[in-house]
Amino acid sequence: MHATIQKPVEEILGYFKPGERVFIVGCDNCAAKCHSGGIPETEEMAGRLKSRGVDVIGWCVPQPKGVSLCKLANTARVLQEEYGKETGQADSFLVLACGQGFHTVMDATGGSMVHPGCDTIFGGETVSDTFITEYCSLCGECIVEYTGGLCPVTLCAKSLLNGPCGGAKDGKCEVDKTRDCGWQLIYERLKALGRLEELSAYKEPKNYSRWSRPRSLTIGEGEVTFKSLSGEHTVASHD
Amino acid sequence: MEGYVTAVNVTDLQSAVMRVGSLAVSARLLERGIEPVFQISCRDRNRLALQSDLLSAWAFGVENVLCITGDHPVLGDHTEAKPVYDLDSVQLLKAADMLNQGKDMTGHSLESSPDFFLGAVVTPSADPVEPQIIKMKKKINAGAAFFQTQAVYEPDKFEQFMNKIQSFNVPVIAGIVLLKSAAMARFMNSNVAGINVPQTIIQELEETSKEDRRHKTVEITARIIRDIKPFCQGIHIMPLGWNELVPEIIEQACLN
Repeated sequence: MHATIQKPVEEILGYFKPGERVFIVGCDNCAAKCHSGGIPETEEMAGRLKSRGVDVIGWCVPQPKGVSLCKLANTARVLQEEYGKETGQADSFLVLACGQGFHTVMDATGGSMVHPGCDTIFGGETVSDTFITEYCSLCGECIVEYTGGLCPVTLCAKSLLNGPCGGAKDGKCEVDKTRDCGWQLIYERLKALGRLEELSAYKEPKNYSRWSRPRSLTIGEGEVTFKSLSGEHTVASHD
Repeated sequence: MEGYVTAVNVTDLQSAVMRVGSLAVSARLLERGIEPVFQISCRDRNRLALQSDLLSAWAFGVENVLCITGDHPVLGDHTEAKPVYDLDSVQLLKAADMLNQGKDMTGHSLESSPDFFLGAVVTPSADPVEPQIIKMKKKINAGAAFFQTQAVYEPDKFEQFMNKIQSFNVPVIAGIVLLKSAAMARFMNSNVAGINVPQTIIQELEETSKEDRRHKTVEITARIIRDIKPFCQGIHIMPLGWNELVPEIIEQACLN
């Protein structure tokens, strides 16, 4: 999931020109889980902006329940058909969702002016209703097979691939005494799994061209193609 | 310090604080006939810049290179800087070793190749120490020909560590930071990874009057050096400004 957090309302207020008619859009998937753009937060934002003099002409969190705002076809249908009357009058949109959902609203509204209401902070695991944390950095080249399933690119502050630096103290990282040393976690897990020999193997530098932006995925018949600065990489889903 | 020390370590923006670079200082030391240990960290440069700076160092006559990870930027004075770490210290050693063999990381041949004496670091008092030892072995395989350690204050534990790595058969230069006061020792114990100043030494410093403190620092440092000397191949004294004490420490430690 894409974790998001709302921008301060004062920053959002600064976006709007006098008399600008604003339609607010949330997301019923990730932003709802983050309490940054679900139904209650989107309704609340409409009220908060109205009470500060913003001309909010409507709001919605595209349904069906749980659907992601970044699903363009659904978002376009909802905004153009279900809420066509309000969105047709809008000068701009405020999106309470991640950067992908944000761009989806641009696409769904024919390139309208769209304001970001959230900061997109990471891709994470929804550990519980009240805690989301990051285990993957979306680097495009997964290596966790060799690290006990724990990603050093994400869990080590320096994204080291060949073992710990000398900066850990009492198992905690040099950047933050409350944060576990990623490599200590990897070491302990490999030891528990009886796979400590994985630590001895030299790991080549990462291919950062697979982490270039923007990247794309094209879905074909029985195959998908990943495109990055490392080139096009097609994988078939069958033998 | 002439006649007392063999080489001088030149740190690379240590503690992630911005200052003049280690390459320029190493080159200036060479002009004065002083042998530098050029420290190069992975924090601030990608693989292009790291390899290029290594070749630049060789162009200036630098031979000793210490390849290190580098303190994270948030520990320094430019906390919002982008941490690079394109390579880690093992990969940097391997890249430097490839330059020694006349090739860059992509396999392209160099017109002429350097002949660096490559070093790396290890933290003997890390807990657990096993991941440090595994990484030390990887560093040796990648090209490290000597090691420098984090500051050592416990000769017994250092001896145990050296016994564990005996089969590696690689020279180890033990580090020691001059302890200027009990407060400094306590600060390092709670804030610096891999450093443990025993309570007995802290007490010694505490019971010393301010006037006798420098004398005490020399005495403690020389004593530790005498104790660890049999287990290692060199000593790296980190005086943190008290440079003038170094000759006396070396004499008292019978290193000359």
